[in-house]
Amino acid sequence: MSNPLKDMEKPDVIFCIGTNMTECHPVAATRLKKAVANGATLIVADPRRIRLAEMAHLYLPLRVGSDTALLLAMAHVIARDGLIDQEFVAARTEGIDRLLEHIRDFTPEWAETITGVPAADIETAARLYGRADRGAIYYTLGVTEHICGVDNVQSLCNLVLMTGNIGREGTGINPMRGQNNVQGAGDSGAIPNNYVGFQSVSDPANQAKFTALYGREMSLEKGPTKVTALDRCGEQIRAMLIDGENTLVSDPDRIHGEHALRSLDHLVVMDIFLSETAELAHVVLPAAGWAEVDGHYTNTERRIQRVRKAVEPPGEAMPDWWIITQLAQKMGIPGFDYESPKAVFNELCSASPIYAGIDWDLAESGQYQWPIPYKGHPGTPRLHEDGFINGRGKFMLIGYRDPAEVVSADFPVWLTTGRRLESYHTNTQTGRAEGIDYLLPRETLEVHPADVDAWGLANGGLARLSSRRGSVEVVVEATERSPRGTVFCSFAFNDVPVNILTGSGYDPITQTAELKVCPVRVEALIEEEIGLVA
Amino acid sequence: MQNPIPLMEAGITKTRSVCGYCGVGCAVDVMTRDNRIVGIQPAMDGPANEGALCVKGQFAYDFVHHPDRLTRPLVRRDDGKLHPTTWDEALQIAADGFLRAAAEHGEASVYGIASGRTPSEADYLMQKWVRAGFGTHNIDNCSRA
Ligand code: SF4
Repeated sequence: MSNPLKDMEKPDVIFCIGTNMTECHPVAATRLKKAVANGATLIVADPRRIRLAEMAHLYLPLRVGSDTALLLAMAHVIARDGLIDQEFVAARTEGIDRLLEHIRDFTPEWAETITGVPAADIETAARLYGRADRGAIYYTLGVTEHICGVDNVQSLCNLVLMTGNIGREGTGINPMRGQNNVQGAGDSGAIPNNYVGFQSVSDPANQAKFTALYGREMSLEKGPTKVTALDRCGEQIRAMLIDGENTLVSDPDRIHGEHALRSLDHLVVMDIFLSETAELAHVVLPAAGWAEVDGHYTNTERRIQRVRKAVEPPGEAMPDWWIITQLAQKMGIPGFDYESPKAVFNELCSASPIYAGIDWDLAESGQYQWPIPYKGHPGTPRLHEDGFINGRGKFMLIGYRDPAEVVSADFPVWLTTGRRLESYHTNTQTGRAEGIDYLLPRETLEVHPADVDAWGLANGGLARLSSRRGSVEVVVEATERSPRGTVFCSFAFNDVPVNILTGSGYDPITQTAELKVCPVRVEALIEEEIGLVA
Repeated sequence: MQNPIPLMEAGITKTRSVCGYCGVGCAVDVMTRDNRIVGIQPAMDGPANEGALCVKGQFAYDFVHHPDRLTRPLVRRDDGKLHPTTWDEALQIAADGFLRAAAEHGEASVYGIASGRTPSEADYLMQKWVRAGFGTHNIDNCSRA
C-alpha cells in the first residue's frame, strides 16, 4: 500500500476494485466503513454483489476479466471532462500526451459493450474519482489474478497519476496483501528477480555485492517463476525445497501441479501438517508454526512487526530458520552459522536498503514502515510524498485483452473464484480449527436464482461443474450475489478442488495465474448419478 | 479493561504477537496456560488494528494444538511410504538429494519455494539457501495469495 491503514478513514472518494475486503481484510474494511459514515463516497467495481457492493454509493457490476476496459474508459472521461490535475502532471509525471492520444477512442460506450456496465455509471465513477480532493484506490487479487493483472495495476496507476491522488493523506494506490507475510517474503528476496530489499539481480553492482556477501559467484540472470518451474519439473527442474505452502491445492490446474511434483527426483517439504503437497515428498520436515516461533511479519502497509513464541512446538517440530540452517550446514553452504532468528534478521536488515535503519531491537516497537533507509530515520508511512523514487511517474499505454479463455457453446458460464471470511486459503490451518468448521461446514457454488431455474438446478442440490481441464461436484446455493451467467466458488476446500478447473493462463509478466476467470458448464446431478461419481 | 491480576492467578500468560491470517497484521495477545493457547485478545495499542480483530484472528487457533500436527521428520523408504526418523537422518537425506541433483543436472535444477505465511527470517534464509547454495535465482513464494 502506498498509504498507511489509518489513512483509510480519510479519503473523500474511495474506489474499490476486485477486493472483497469485508471478507478478506475485515479489520481494514471497518476503517472504510468509518470513512463512509463520515461522508466519503464509495465506488465498488466487482463482478459479484459482495457486501462491500451493498455499502457502495455507486456499484459497477463488471463482467469478470474486463477491468482494463473499465479503467481505460474512466481515464477517457477524466481527460475529456477536464479533470486532469495539470499541476501534478506537469511537475511529477511524463508521457501524458501519448496517453491522451491512446485513450481517445476508449469511450464509456465502448467499455459498456465489454464490461456490461452502463456507460453513464462509468462516467459517474470517473467524475467522482476525478473531482475528489482525496481519492484512494484499494484492490486485491480480483485485479491481479488475471492474464492482464499487470495491465490492470498500470491502468489504475494511470488514473492516480492523472488526478494526483498520491503522496497525500487519504489518497494512494493500495493493494491489500492476502497472506500475513506475503509482503515480507517479497521484501526478503524470496522472488526470482530481486535480492533482499528489491535489489535487481540483473544489476552488476548488486551481483558484486551479493557475490561478496554470500561467498560465491551470483548469476546475473533472473530465475524462473514458480509457475514456470512447475512446468519444467522432471526436465530442467529436478529437486525442490518447499516451505509451508500447500502448492498442490492452492495452485491452479491441480492435476498438472501434482504431476509436476511427482516427476521430481527429490522433493523436500517443511510444513506443520502432512498437506497434500507434503504427501508427495521424499522428505518431510516438521516445522514450528504460528505462536511457536520468534520473528517478523511485514503487513500490507509495509509495517514490520515482531511475532513471538507463546508455546512450544509439538514433538520434535523446529522453527523454519533452524531447519534451513541445518540443511545448509549439511550441504556445506557457507554463511549459515546462525544461532537465533535475531542473527538472521540483523543480516537481512543490513543487506536491505529499505530495512537498513532498523535491527531486531529497534523493530520491537512495531512502529516502523519501510523504507527506513538509515538508522535514526523514522520510517515511511506514506510513499511518494516528495517525489517518486525513480524520477517521474510514467503513464503506460495499455490495451484491452480478452481473458485466456472466453465463454463458448460448450462452456457458456463464467466461473470466478475467491475466498470467504471464515476460511483461509487452502484450509490446512482453519480446516483444523473447530470453531471454523462450525461456521462454514461445506463449500457451495453461488448461482443467481434465475440461473438456478434456467439451468434446471435446485437450491441445495448437487451440480457438476466442468471446464476444459476437469470437473467437480458441488452443492448449489441460489443467491443474488452472483450476476446472471456467472458463478462463484471459493478455493478453500480440498473436497471441492476448484483448482482442477482453473488455470487457463498466466499474466505474461508476473505469471500470476488466471484464477479469477474460467469458462465452465454447470449441470444438475440427478440422485442416481451421485453414487457413481468418484 | 482486562485486569492482569486474576489472569496471573489463573496461571495465564499473555504474549504479544501478530495475527497469522491476513496482511492487515492485527496485533494480538496470545493467552496461554500450561503450554496451550487458551484465547486470543486484540491488542488495544496494535498500530494496524487499534483493538479490532475479525472472526479468523479471534477464533482460528485450535490448529496449533491439533493432533494431526507433524511431530517427527519423515522419509520415504523403499516401500514407497513415509516413515518417521531422526532429524539427523532426514536432513542428511534431504541434503544428499539436492547435492546429487546439482551434480547430475546442474545447479539450475534445484528450486526453492518460500512461504507467504512464515516469518521473514524463514523467507530470507530460503532465498539465501538457493543463492548461496547454487548461485541461481531459482526462488519464488506464494505471492498470489
Ligand atoms: S484479525 Fe482478521 S483482519 Fe486482523 S490480521 Fe487477522 S485475519 Fe486479518
